[in-house]
Amino acid sequence: MNPVYTPLRELSRGVRSGEVSPVELAETFLERLETHGPSLNALVTLTRERAMKQAKRAEEEIKEGKIRGPLHGIPWGGKDLLATAGIPTTWGAAPFRDQVFESDATVVAKLDDAGAVLSAKLAMIELAGGMGYRQPNASFTGPCATPWSPGHWSGGSSSGSGAAVGAGLVPFAVGSETWGSILSPANNCGVAGLRPTYGRVSRRGAMALSWTLDKLGPLCLTADGCGMVLEAIAGHDPGDRSTSKRLYRYVLKRDGLRVAVPKGATEGVVEPVKRNFDNAMRVVEGFADVEEIEWPEFPYEAVTRTILNAEAAAAFDEFTERGLARGLTAPECRYGPYARTAVLAVDYLKALRLRERMARIAEDVMAGYDAVAAPSRATTVPRIDEEFRKSTPGTARDTMGALGNGAGLPAVSVPNGFDDEGLPTGIQFMGRAYGENRVLSVAVEYQCRTGWHRVHPERFTP
Amino acid sequence: MDSEAETLFSLVKGKYGDKIASDELEEVRKAVEKIVESSMELREFELGNWDEPFSVFKPSRSEGE
Repeated sequence: MNPVYTPLRELSRGVRSGEVSPVELAETFLERLETHGPSLNALVTLTRERAMKQAKRAEEEIKEGKIRGPLHGIPWGGKDLLATAGIPTTWGAAPFRDQVFESDATVVAKLDDAGAVLSAKLAMIELAGGMGYRQPNASFTGPCATPWSPGHWSGGSSSGSGAAVGAGLVPFAVGSETWGSILSPANNCGVAGLRPTYGRVSRRGAMALSWTLDKLGPLCLTADGCGMVLEAIAGHDPGDRSTSKRLYRYVLKRDGLRVAVPKGATEGVVEPVKRNFDNAMRVVEGFADVEEIEWPEFPYEAVTRTILNAEAAAAFDEFTERGLARGLTAPECRYGPYARTAVLAVDYLKALRLRERMARIAEDVMAGYDAVAAPSRATTVPRIDEEFRKSTPGTARDTMGALGNGAGLPAVSVPNGFDDEGLPTGIQFMGRAYGENRVLSVAVEYQCRTGWHRVHPERFTP
Repeated sequence: MDSEAETLFSLVKGKYGDKIASDELEEVRKAVEKIVESSMELREFELGNWDEPFSVFKPSRSEGE
């Protein structure tokens, strides 16, 4: 079995049956990370020593019949905002390039317990985009490219997580999303990305951008892989009070799927994205009841933006006060944090009060549906060397992103085709709170009926 | 620029002016205007006195204490 671009479930089967050696797997992916990671600007730190130690232990345990679970012996990469003991955790920002923590983030510890092999810390937009970046060149490791074109952006802020999975440098990665940071790289790199419900996965040890918006989640070749990883990383953590005590087991719903499409879902969306979304919905109609819904008028974007601005300003208050933003890469990030201190407390609280209303709107409108479908992004993949507003101008509102993140709802993005330049586009399925299995059910069924996730960029295909 | 945005910009400038280059001040001014625009949108939406913030503080204590 060639492990590169092998979906997680198949790879896991190969490891457990002894067909694939964890040590050989680690060597293969470490070599690929070392060879291709820098050309994409996807890699921050190769964790070779830790990976080989974990891979050898996994190999011994599996030989002895001690199987920890489906991720045992599988290499992975973490967005470089996850704390790792003794290994630098840079948050993508030059002022933190030498930062080292003493303990692992809960997600890292959970994946250790599952027997997964941490092989790399992956690139990200500086401070997860919290300073208001407007271009791909907003990381001290340089602008991260999509594996589909060196001239186009990987998406962000989980840039390296998307690029590394898309280039076959790791079988899966863990990223984070405050507003768009998992779905955007999944879209731009042609992979699957799952944003879990807020509180499903512990944030302890992960850089905080916005305490009430941040979520950690997986990026994989398939939605099925995302479900497997989520099962390993979900769960209550006394170290993160936001975590839910609800147990998560990855189980798919096969029949009676119901999918909604919001009225105006493709308004302001560029033509190739609209075309691929319409084609994808024809596939979805083949296995699910599809109906139109309508989001009521509501200041969705203003609510989520105000919460993000206020919490990011507070989270980086000391950083801002000390003038450390001057050391950031993107010019706009050097002054971005100052304006955010202008959010008034009464407006922040109004946004939190409206959030309650927003969550109820989501519950009411989405009741009875397994997922709401929409294009993952309104535009095609931006160029790597230009500001977003220049390379991908657009007028579409991001109601799904604002509502989904503001109300803490799960969503998965999977590839649904290519634009005229051969760059990937994606479709997202968003669900009700704790409805990961429902959105994954729709995405997995969609992927069973399409082959977009089996097409990989030629220059990375072995 | 409306008076609220102007006032808030003056506050930001007064507090952080020494950390912001002169050619960046215009961008900060624009960003403050956008923040005020978002706030205006929120303020237009009426809520009742009983509408609480989503995150309600819950007092807690450690086990056994």
